[in-house]
Amino acid sequence: MTLLVPRAHTVAVLLDDALVTLNRAVGVLRRRNVPVEGLALHPSGAAGLSRLTFVLKADAVTADRVAQQFQKMTGVRSVMVHGGEDITSEAKQ
Amino acid sequence: MAEILTGAEILCRTLVEGGVEVIFGYPGGAIMPFYHALPDHPRLRHVLVRHEQAAAHAADGYARASGRVGVCVATSGPGATNLVTGLAAAHMDSSPVVAITGQVSRAMIGRDAFQETDIIGITLPITKQNYLVQDVTELADVVRDALAVAIEGRPGPVLIDVPKDVQNQKAEWKQSQPPRIPRARARDQSPGSIDDGIRRAARLIAGADRPLLMVGHGVILAQAYAEVRALAEKTGIPVVTTLLGISAFPEGHPLHLGMPGMHGEVHVNRAIQHADVIIGIGLRFDDRVTGNTASFARQARVVHIDLDRAEIGKNVPVDVGIVGDAREITRRLLAAVEPRRCERWLEHIHGFTRPPAASPHGLSPEAILSAICEASEARCTIVSDVGQHQMWVAKLYPYRRPNTHITSGGLGAMGFAVPAAMGVHLARPDDTVWAISGDGGFQMNMAEIATMVQERLSVKMAVFNNGYLGMVRQWQQFFHGKRYSCTPIWSPDYLKLAEAYGIPGYRVTDPSELTDAVGEANAAPGPAVVEFMIEEEANVYPMIPPGGSLSEPIEAEPAPAPAAG
Repeated sequence: MTLLVPRAHTVAVLLDDALVTLNRAVGVLRRRNVPVEGLALHPSGAAGLSRLTFVLKADAVTADRVAQQFQKMTGVRSVMVHGGEDITSEAKQ
Repeated sequence: MAEILTGAEILCRTLVEGGVEVIFGYPGGAIMPFYHALPDHPRLRHVLVRHEQAAAHAADGYARASGRVGVCVATSGPGATNLVTGLAAAHMDSSPVVAITGQVSRAMIGRDAFQETDIIGITLPITKQNYLVQDVTELADVVRDALAVAIEGRPGPVLIDVPKDVQNQKAEWKQSQPPRIPRARARDQSPGSIDDGIRRAARLIAGADRPLLMVGHGVILAQAYAEVRALAEKTGIPVVTTLLGISAFPEGHPLHLGMPGMHGEVHVNRAIQHADVIIGIGLRFDDRVTGNTASFARQARVVHIDLDRAEIGKNVPVDVGIVGDAREITRRLLAAVEPRRCERWLEHIHGFTRPPAASPHGLSPEAILSAICEASEARCTIVSDVGQHQMWVAKLYPYRRPNTHITSGGLGAMGFAVPAAMGVHLARPDDTVWAISGDGGFQMNMAEIATMVQERLSVKMAVFNNGYLGMVRQWQQFFHGKRYSCTPIWSPDYLKLAEAYGIPGYRVTDPSELTDAVGEANAAPGPAVVEFMIEEEANVYPMIPPGGSLSEPIEAEPAPAPAAG
């Protein structure tokens, strides 16, 4: 018997280093009922920007849907989704 | 010489500079400096509501009717929290609203001060953006930014929280600076992939046997009426309009089928279920439209055109997603499609049509709505509340002019119609505005009659009185074994209520009274109330049970079943 286990996807969000932006970003995970396994915030290396990284136990379609919700947030600069060999990257203007 | 102004003064000036003309609000401790400065700016007309919820709904109604930003103002604490329902409604229905709230002084923030509440935290999930202004030097840019964010792209509400001491703080006034706060914007789809999407959509349309256009609120927001109509007429594709898409396509047009979804007509939902290509423009495939998504339009390949990339594929799988303005994309799609007809498909759909459901006894919603349409000579905007009457209005009112149907679709906020209609009236002073509510929703915000009287707002209020919270009662009848728990609702004497407010009031119990009562109310110079005594246990048919398939409507009262758990 084969068990279908959704592959983990890692989403990395580059966002403004402001508490309200961080709050809004984490709120999206709660509001959209995203199955998050781990979450970390690090300085990005660029002044005024942080990197929020989280792991989703979800398929690629769900991971992309989550990425799109971040993509449209004010204060989010870029969103990257890593899932095994597939890496898709979305930059913002 | 540099002008030094208070934050409150800067707030007023930036609003004037941003083209704001009407503010719906309610003063209080933490917003008093703003109210002190306000009389010096006669261009800002302030409408004093009776509850802040009404201010938010009125700003929303103003925004939807005018296509401009609606502004509401409240004090900190309870003033701010009372705005929440209105902001959530604006957020769900993509309406550009800017809310300005007073906050306790900066030194008091975080100390549970009197009337302190974390309105930024509370409104995070129901605003497009929000700001706590930490210093007066940021204020003008924040207001300019907020007015722009609210309306650009997919519109939505924005909140600005201004501590009282920041309103009193002084700074140099700099006029009309371009917004300084850099905004990260979602990258548009690449031009190449839009071209490709349009080509693929045109190919799908050319090869389809049973194509269908589904039109939503995005068509109204983008004012893409002519483009959508031209696309339908060039291709002969039948059109369905969602609840918020109603009036985007003329009712009565030979290609217009009606509203889909939970209370959509049988032939409309059958058309969706039989379609082989669906072109969705500016809608989000909400669950009230799709029913159970697993059984939604299983034969159809879906083209989805939406301004918000996150909507594409969110609720239903999409074959071709095109991100962009409904007007621009539809115009390009129109140029790309070959003329065709869909006569056999239309005949097929008309074959699904059911004979009209038997009208409820006595005063029918059809008769009431046609009396309103006649009295206003079809030159009116209808603002509906939430519940059974909302569905009757959506299904039966013959909309001819675009954007003349305004309702709380996504949030479904009872109490919306009366205050939102005040905003609609101020946006369209030359139109007649009818706020249509049930007896439940009307009682939620009927205190706003006082606002209408004081501010001379000519809103006609229709109350569909069946003595029940009718839609909930209908669900109880269908799904809870007719156990009418807490849905019978008492009403005051609305004629005496009207008299107490000094406005004309009418009660219609018999169809023979309709024309006179509605005509007089419509012609009265100010606000008026008309109560319609409708059948107590009338139902809205057909109905797709929540979570059910569009293929399995309830078309008559179901046999009694045991109460659901």
